[in-house]
Amino acid sequence: MGFFGSKEEFPGKGSFPHGIHPPDNKFYSAGAEVEVLPNPGKVVLPLLQHIGAPCEPVVKPKQMVTCGEMVGKGQAFVSAALHSPVAGKVKKNTVVTLANGRHLPAIEIKTDGDQVDPEDLWKEMTDTDWSLSTIPDYAPDEISKLIHAAGIVGLGGAAFPTHVKVMPSDKQLIDTLLVNGCECEPYLTCDYRIMKEAPHAIVAGALLAGRAVSAKEIFICVEDNKPEAIEALESATQNTVVQVAVVKTKYPQGSEKQLVKAVLDLEVPLGGLPSAVGVAMSNVGTMAAVARAVIKKGPLTHRVVSVTGGGIANPKNLFVPIGITMGELIDYCGGLTRDAARIIAGGPMMGFAFSDLNTPVTKGTSGITILTHAEAARGEETSCVRCGRCVDACPMNLVPTKLAMAARYQNPELARQYNINACFECGSCTYVCPASIKLVQLIRTGKAQVAAAMKK
Amino acid sequence: MIEITIGIAAVTMLGMAVIMSYILGWANKKFHVEVDEKVEAVLEALPGANCGGCGYLGCSEYAVAVVADNAPVNKCPVGGEGCAIEVAGIMGVDVGDSVPNRPVVHCGARFEERKGRTEYKGEMRCAAANLVAGVQGCTFGCLGFGDCVSVCQYDAIHIEDGLAVVDYDKCIGCGACVKACPRLIISMTDFHEDKIPSVLCSNLDKGKDVTTVCTKGCIGCKACVKVSDIFTMDKNMAVADTDAYRAENEESAVEGLEKCPKDCIGFIGKNAD
Repeated sequence: MGFFGSKEEFPGKGSFPHGIHPPDNKFYSAGAEVEVLPNPGKVVLPLLQHIGAPCEPVVKPKQMVTCGEMVGKGQAFVSAALHSPVAGKVKKNTVVTLANGRHLPAIEIKTDGDQVDPEDLWKEMTDTDWSLSTIPDYAPDEISKLIHAAGIVGLGGAAFPTHVKVMPSDKQLIDTLLVNGCECEPYLTCDYRIMKEAPHAIVAGALLAGRAVSAKEIFICVEDNKPEAIEALESATQNTVVQVAVVKTKYPQGSEKQLVKAVLDLEVPLGGLPSAVGVAMSNVGTMAAVARAVIKKGPLTHRVVSVTGGGIANPKNLFVPIGITMGELIDYCGGLTRDAARIIAGGPMMGFAFSDLNTPVTKGTSGITILTHAEAARGEETSCVRCGRCVDACPMNLVPTKLAMAARYQNPELARQYNINACFECGSCTYVCPASIKLVQLIRTGKAQVAAAMKK
Repeated sequence: MIEITIGIAAVTMLGMAVIMSYILGWANKKFHVEVDEKVEAVLEALPGANCGGCGYLGCSEYAVAVVADNAPVNKCPVGGEGCAIEVAGIMGVDVGDSVPNRPVVHCGARFEERKGRTEYKGEMRCAAANLVAGVQGCTFGCLGFGDCVSVCQYDAIHIEDGLAVVDYDKCIGCGACVKACPRLIISMTDFHEDKIPSVLCSNLDKGKDVTTVCTKGCIGCKACVKVSDIFTMDKNMAVADTDAYRAENEESAVEGLEKCPKDCIGFIGKNAD
């Protein structure tokens, strides 16, 4: 375990080629214990909070729902159910624009009637006794079904339905489960706080997910800038098969292909998923939700969100109901400071800047980062001088400037030749570009062009 | 000595020229392709802009389609009526009705009418801005970065206060702007009259949601539908029936226009306002 003096216990080098070292700025909220937010007056639940097919509403306007009742159901296999975090009355169908720009129908629920105290839910999560001895009693199929029923998706940000990842499969043998606690995104601390405050839930979830995919080895991967989380997890994993893998602090260590390389020294093939090399991966928060869904039969209705950055009065980590507006979280944290300049859903590297404070928190919202004018400042764009810094930074070994220019001059064929779809938009290239070229935004435009050209 | 060198060179070149010309002459006969005279005549009559406004890949493909597949003779937006008559003469058919087909921008909100606008620092193109939230509140309306302007070869569409506005005196109806718009708010419409009524909004949300993002968006109140046959409702939006509209319906259209509480119906086309 390099940094802590003991021996590395995993095959990888603990790092991956390229990548960047942005200031992590986690000090704003790292020390703040998770606070439970009281129930809001209403929640707005967009019908598509995950990757895959949207949910169909299963409740009608004016109907009363209870806490944790299913309000939306996904018909397709790659889809996730939606549950109400509060008891209340369903209002007329509405539409919302999410921070990522998607304009979606949503279910609005006005809080009314008997509520479950969210404090109890958080206490459930931070429980130290998860009766680990009962885990072998769950059949792998059953675990996957319970996860599906609880509507769990990847809480790291991408929001891919978890039951698909942990589906036992004959075709694709999985031998390793990696639980991703890297949280390489600057500012965000929600995963850190979960690892520190609810390590037992993470271990229970990891054992359940590992059982579902029949994994032989389970690693919880944490970057070496989070010693307290590592300590908490090491004590929680005692007497279990789960190991803690300490990896180097580098961005984007938390990306799945990079983490597979760092921990297992395996290359995920171009366009493939980690399952192609026998690896399943999931975020620490997701694992805690899995433990709760399977052992305590609770659906995913709340999540931990960091509200952080130099532009917020009191940075905090909050346990919030999904569907609460971003504005309410900002108000709870004392509001914006005078020099707040930009509000971002997620972290500064991969998050989406948004302006409408009525935007709801979704299952994939890991944080709200509020940057000050100084932090958000960016130079005027100048010409590319072919310095190659973006090439050195790109963890996927792509040529970002070539991809961006192919997009700007609308040449999808060239972009495709340079593997534009291998880019997962980590933002390292844009971060290092001395010419302030909006590389990632252009590459996203280019991906849309490639998709359109393929359709023809 | 030098005369002999020049002589040899000259004779060699002459000899080669004679041999080559025979080869070319032979090849010309051997590889002759029959071209329908009519196709050439039609191609001659077309303006040669190769804009694709007819729906074919350039003028020559359209000429072949006219001759071989009896494609309509009035499809060329650049040549207009004169060209259609000429092509019809070559083909020996009737010209048919030639209704100009022009783009209509279904958004009427300028900067001051849009709500939720932010200081956008990204790539200044609609296709790029359309991928992110928070440029402006309305996710349906014109973004105003001018992707349509950059593809127009006729200088017939411009951004005025953040809104794409078609110059119908210059527009020839090639449809390039329709394809360039990432929000799909420009559509080709038959102009039976010089100016036609149009609902200048594309927001399909309910009225309350529209008012939160724009002061000029259609709220689906049906005020225009109640007073005028020209307007119908479709998914929370009023729609002007431009196919049925003729100059004699102008009064009815004006009535609908005046009833609109959001001022989102207008006349567009040549000599509008």
